[in-house]
Amino acid sequence: MAGLVSYVIRRLLFMIPIMLGVTALVFFVTAAAGNPIAIIRAGLLHPNNATIQYLINYYHLNQPVELRYVYYVWNLMHLNLGVSLQTHVPVAQSIGRWTWTTFYLQMSALALALGIGIPIGVYSAKHQYSKADYSITTAAIFGFSMPTFWLGIMLILLFSAYLKVLPYGGASGGALGLWWGGPIQDAIAHLILPMITLAYVEMATFVRLIRGNMLEVMRQDYVLAAQASGLSDFKVTYKHALKNAITPIITLVGLSIASSLGGAPALETVFSWPGLGYYFTQAALSLDITVVEGLTVVITVMVLAANVLLDLLYGVVDPRVRVT
Amino acid sequence: MSGTSGEAGSQTAEVKAPAKVKPRRSATQAAVTWRRFRRNKSALIGLTIVSAFLLLGVFGPFFAAYPPRSTASLFLGQAHEPPSWAHPFGTEPTGVDVFSDSIWATRNDLYVGIVATLIATALGVAIGAVAGYARPSISTAVLGVIQVFFVIPVLLLILLFARLFLLEVVAGWGLTLIVLILGLFGWSGIAFVVRGEIFRVKELEFVQAEKALGASNFRILFRHIVPNILTPIIVLATLGVAGNIITEVVISFLGFGDPNTATWGLLIDDGFRYVNTYWWVSFFPGLMCVILVLGFNLLGDGLSDALNPRLRE
Repeated sequence: MAGLVSYVIRRLLFMIPIMLGVTALVFFVTAAAGNPIAIIRAGLLHPNNATIQYLINYYHLNQPVELRYVYYVWNLMHLNLGVSLQTHVPVAQSIGRWTWTTFYLQMSALALALGIGIPIGVYSAKHQYSKADYSITTAAIFGFSMPTFWLGIMLILLFSAYLKVLPYGGASGGALGLWWGGPIQDAIAHLILPMITLAYVEMATFVRLIRGNMLEVMRQDYVLAAQASGLSDFKVTYKHALKNAITPIITLVGLSIASSLGGAPALETVFSWPGLGYYFTQAALSLDITVVEGLTVVITVMVLAANVLLDLLYGVVDPRVRVT
Repeated sequence: MSGTSGEAGSQTAEVKAPAKVKPRRSATQAAVTWRRFRRNKSALIGLTIVSAFLLLGVFGPFFAAYPPRSTASLFLGQAHEPPSWAHPFGTEPTGVDVFSDSIWATRNDLYVGIVATLIATALGVAIGAVAGYARPSISTAVLGVIQVFFVIPVLLLILLFARLFLLEVVAGWGLTLIVLILGLFGWSGIAFVVRGEIFRVKELEFVQAEKALGASNFRILFRHIVPNILTPIIVLATLGVAGNIITEVVISFLGFGDPNTATWGLLIDDGFRYVNTYWWVSFFPGLMCVILVLGFNLLGDGLSDALNPRLRE
């Protein structure tokens, strides 16, 4: 237990240089990309001299860039992420809501992808070279090759524009009226298309990985031994073989967390999904630098934290892995 | 695979005259791979798709009916038309002919995908080699850098940098800027794999023998170790082209690319604005993208099987 605690502490300490690196990268590149006043001016709808003078003082723009970075990190340490140049809302205030929207979309898609992807992958491996296997692998490689957002557009075309059975986008009906007659039903109606889009693409990777691993594991002696000892087919497959085939999935989920916490900007834009990716895209396009920097910092922190959690989970799933 | 065969040739050179041995060895190595590759149906489909798109990208624009982003159809009264013989993929409300723009986009997206991957692969191999072979103090620091690039949300930084620097570049160089950004941010996966492979290979006898003979570190690394770990590099690079093409499509779809360069993402974006009325504008370019990416993925899978010595019969 002590080992575990010291491991977590060490990992958390390791986050400090990474965070310094990422913030420095974003900060200095933004600063080097052009006169910060010009960039901020481009982000303002109606700049006047008083506002600009206020911003210059607020962001210490008359100071050298290294010193500005120190001010910036100092503010970060006080959880002050600055104020949006466009909406004048403190960034820290909005981020919580955006994170939640992204989180429940990503998690429901991940759950769907794992829940369907793993059994499909197992089935495909058990019936290798059958017709079903060929169809599954073909569908999987298509999903693997598809830009997620394009699939989203095609589904909008079919279900929203042509069949008119599901909403175009957004996370709730709002002023336009609720779908399916209730707030919860409304949220579900809005969730369906983005969730399915994301889940299909994620599932493709899971199916390919599970199928490949199962094929390898099923050839091993201990599986033969389990079969020979008279265990049911289901038990051999799901209890004995799958346990060893599933560990790499954790790595894969870990890798995809970086991209999914980024909120898949294109997917969220297609569905006007009010999450981290959507707002990042908007902020970056309009050069709302404080929001961009704030989102980058928060997302990086969450990605790093998620990676620590996954490392711990590794130790739970695979007893050979010891975190020390 | 020329690197592997060249390395094999130089090893035998101490026994026999190199001029006689070299070509026969290299033919065998390539022939074995090709024979195994040829038997794999999906790999062949991948190769066909990729070759077809390469031909289309190189020669297609010479036969394209309109220059890129041309609004000529508007003045012919042929804007927002569904697919027809004159406009196989239809036209946009602005008069852009989707078919000829898709062909120009094929060239541009292949350029981005391939060159960005070359840059990322070169960086990844060099940095991974240092992390795997340098003395511990240096390699730990380099490993730290690799890990940083591995965990940070790279796509967001790519988008931000594209937006910031596109303001600065001269017109016409927007695509090259995207290539550079993708290359500079995309090397960490390859670096990780190269580092791991070097750990595996550097303890093998032939490396020890080279060391005993007094070869320099640089020579051992790039003449002897790297040719032996080419297989995963080639496979990762092939799959990397697919990934970079998708990322480019995302970049230009979201409006972070050069708006004056024809790319699939830009066409999909145009179409998405009229998703209710003109489905063909985003459908066909997206489909072309899916097929090309599929081709690279199948090719990568096939190469991975054909080059894998463990699967050899």
